[in-house]
Amino acid sequence: MKRMEIFKIVGIGLLTCVVATLIKQIRPEFYIVVILSGSVVILMMIVNELQVLFDYFLTIFGQTGLDYELFASILKILGVGYLTEFASGICVDSGNASIGDKIILAGKVLIVVLSLPIITSLLDIIIEILP
Amino acid sequence: MDYSVIMKIAAIGILTAVVSQVLKNIGKDEIATFATLAGLIIVLIMCVNMISELFDTVKLLFLM
Repeated sequence: MKRMEIFKIVGIGLLTCVVATLIKQIRPEFYIVVILSGSVVILMMIVNELQVLFDYFLTIFGQTGLDYELFASILKILGVGYLTEFASGICVDSGNASIGDKIILAGKVLIVVLSLPIITSLLDIIIEILP
Repeated sequence: MDYSVIMKIAAIGILTAVVSQVLKNIGKDEIATFATLAGLIIVLIMCVNMISELFDTVKLLFLM
């Protein structure tokens, strides 16, 4: 039954495209809201599958014996990446590519800041190995 | 979460287009502008609710 989800998502995506093109000609200011709603609907549909996937990754990660904080920061980086991509795509679609670029830059900076603990633990390991 | 919200937004868009067209024809230009603005605000409120739901879900899912 899970495989039927893709037909639903493809249908909603194509429907959003048609509605957005239709609405752009009569009310251009509604265009961006249609695109935004379509994106949110599609993203909300895959959230449950993503939850299953992350639980599985967490099980694997638990068997490696590494610090849980590392897994949490990787998840946070993923979240920042997804949200940044979502928002910048909407901005580019609405014709404001420069705002989209700024959002991507902010996302990159935040990802580097979030990955500092990982870099620190890597450096600690290297210092331990060195004689 | 299903696709009916997209159709709702499209319907509101077409409805406001018709209303503002009629109002313009009978010479009430400023009321036509306000009708369009009201439609846009209604649609934006619907959209903002959905986006806040998405942000809550992402916060929960990605342990933020």
